[in-house]
Amino acid sequence: MVDIAVSDMSIPSDRLAAARSFSRSDARFRALTATAAFIVVAAFVGIIIALVSGSWLALKTFGFGFLTTEVWNPVTEKFGAVAPIAGTLITSSLAMLVAVPVGIGIAIFLTELCPRSLKRPVGIAIELLAGIPSIIYGIWGLFVFAPFFQATIQPRLIDWFANIPLLRDLFAGPSYGIGMFTASLILSIMILPFISAVTRDVFDAVPAVIKEAAYGLGCTKWEVMWQIILPYARIGVVGGSMLALGRALGETMAVTFVIGNAHRINESLFAPATTISAAIANEFTEAVGDLYLSSLIAIGLMLLCISFIVLGLAQYMIAILERRAGGRSQ
Amino acid sequence: MSEMNPSGLATRIDIRGLSFYYGANQALKDVSVPLYDRKVTAFIGPSGCGKSTLLRVLNRIYELYPNQRATGEVIFDGENILNGGQDVNILRAKVGMVFQKPTPFPMTIYDNIAFGIRLFERIRKSDLDGRVEHALKRAALWSEVKDKLQESGLSLSGGQQQRLCIARSVATSPDVILLDEPCSALDPMSTAKIEELIDELSNEYTIVIVTHNMQQAARVAEKTGFFLNGRMVEFDSTHKIFTNPSDKRTEDYITGRFG
Repeated sequence: MVDIAVSDMSIPSDRLAAARSFSRSDARFRALTATAAFIVVAAFVGIIIALVSGSWLALKTFGFGFLTTEVWNPVTEKFGAVAPIAGTLITSSLAMLVAVPVGIGIAIFLTELCPRSLKRPVGIAIELLAGIPSIIYGIWGLFVFAPFFQATIQPRLIDWFANIPLLRDLFAGPSYGIGMFTASLILSIMILPFISAVTRDVFDAVPAVIKEAAYGLGCTKWEVMWQIILPYARIGVVGGSMLALGRALGETMAVTFVIGNAHRINESLFAPATTISAAIANEFTEAVGDLYLSSLIAIGLMLLCISFIVLGLAQYMIAILERRAGGRSQ
Repeated sequence: MSEMNPSGLATRIDIRGLSFYYGANQALKDVSVPLYDRKVTAFIGPSGCGKSTLLRVLNRIYELYPNQRATGEVIFDGENILNGGQDVNILRAKVGMVFQKPTPFPMTIYDNIAFGIRLFERIRKSDLDGRVEHALKRAALWSEVKDKLQESGLSLSGGQQQRLCIARSVATSPDVILLDEPCSALDPMSTAKIEELIDELSNEYTIVIVTHNMQQAARVAEKTGFFLNGRMVEFDSTHKIFTNPSDKRTEDYITGRFG
C-alpha cells in the first residue's frame, strides 16, 4: 500500500529503492529486538519451570509443612524451610534498619551540607564501596570484623542489655563473633552505597527553586531537608531502598562467611543462623540424596517468591506515594 | 516606618550603593533605589541586566550559594540587612518571594499554606484553618480549592499553583513580597488574575516585581526602574518612564529598539 502511494507520486527510482531497503531493515531490526525481549521472558519462564520441577519432590514429600517446619536434618532426610526463610528476612530487615537511615544521612550530607571540595571524593568513595566484590566483604567480615566484634562490641552489648527484658533475649551471649547480627551489619555496609548513591541522585534532582522557595519562607536547613527535599524525593528513595533490599535478600557469599550456618532459629541475634542463599551455597556440594537436593532447590524457589513479594510491595508503595503526590511521577 | 519624601511616600526598603558579585562577575553596579511602602515597584530591563539579582539580595537568598556576595546598604526596619546581624530566617519570613515557575511543595494544598505558618507560630488547628482560608482568599484561590484542600498542590493548574505560592507568602504575614517574573510561565487569563491580585495586595504589602513584560509593569506598578548591564539607568513613576523617559536608553528599550 505504501509502495503504491509512493510510486504514484513519481519519486525517483533510486530514492524508492532506498526507502524499500529501509523498510526491510526496519522489519529486520524489529524482529531482532522482539527476539531479544522474548529471550528474557523465555529465560524467566524456564527458570521458574526448572525451580518448580526441581523442588517438586520436596514439596510433594513435605507438603505445606515445608514452610512451617524448622527441622533440617540431612541424616533423617527431614527438611523444613523456616530457619533459612526467617534468617533471610531477619538479616535483610536488620540490614535495612541500619543502612536506610545511614544512607539517607550520607546523601543529605553530600547534597546539602558537605563542602564542595569534599563532595566528589566522598561520593567516589561511596561508589567504590558498591564495586567491592562480595567475597571481599566475606573475608573481611570473617577475619577482621567478626573477631573485633567478638572481642569488643559484643560483650558490651550483652552487658548493657542484661537487665532489659526483651533486649536481654535479643542480645544474649555467648559472643561468637559470627552470627545473624554480624551478617546483618556486613549486609548493611554492602547495601549502603546503593541507598546513598540513588538517594543522593534524587536529592540532587530536586529543583533548586523549590529549595529556594522553602528557604525564602524562612525555613532552616533542617526544615528544608526533612519537610521539602525528602518528601519531594521520596519515590526515588523508596526505589533505591528496594533495590538495596533486593540485593540484601539474595546476597550469598559475604553472608555465608559470617552467619555461622546453623539451621535453627535462635532468640538471640548473636547466635549463628542461616539464610536461604547461604544454605544453598554451603550445602549444594554435599547434598547427596534426591530429597536433600530437591529441598535446597525448594528454598531457592521460596527466595524467588520473597523477591517477587518485595518487588510487588515496592510497586504498591510507589503507586501510593505517586497518588499522594497528585498523580505526577517524579 | 521611615522618613517621608516630598511626594508623600514612605520608604520601606532603602537600597544604597548596592553592588553584587557572582564570583568575579559583577552583576549589580552601585544601585540605589527606594522601595516605597505599600506600593508596587517594577524593575524592567533585558535579560541578565541584574533585576532578578536585586530581588535575591532583598531576602538574602543568594547566601545559599558560595561565591556570591553583596556590598553596599539595604536598609530595612532601620538595619542594614547585608551586615548579617539579624536572623536570616526571620528576615525571609518578612520578605516573601514568588518565583518565575510555580513552586508548590510536595504536600496538600492546605499544608502548602499551613507549612509557612507552622514554621513560626504554634497555633490551634481551628485558628490555623482560619489563617489558611484567609490566605487563600487573599490570593483569590479559595473558591477554586475549598473543596479539595487535602489534594496535592501539584494537582493544580499552573496559574492556580502560582496563586497558591502567593497565598503561601501572604500566609506568613510578610511586609514585603518579591515577585520574580511571576507570570512568565502563565497563560493570559491566569496573568490577568495575578495582576488583579497584585493590585489588591498592594493595599497591604510592599511589592517588588521583576518582569520582562513592559505592559505588565505599566499596568501594575506605581514606580518603575529600568536596568541595563547591572546599573539602574532610570527610576521614576511608571507613567513618566513609559511616556516621557529622561534617559535615551530607557526610551530605546521601551520603544523596542533593543532588548
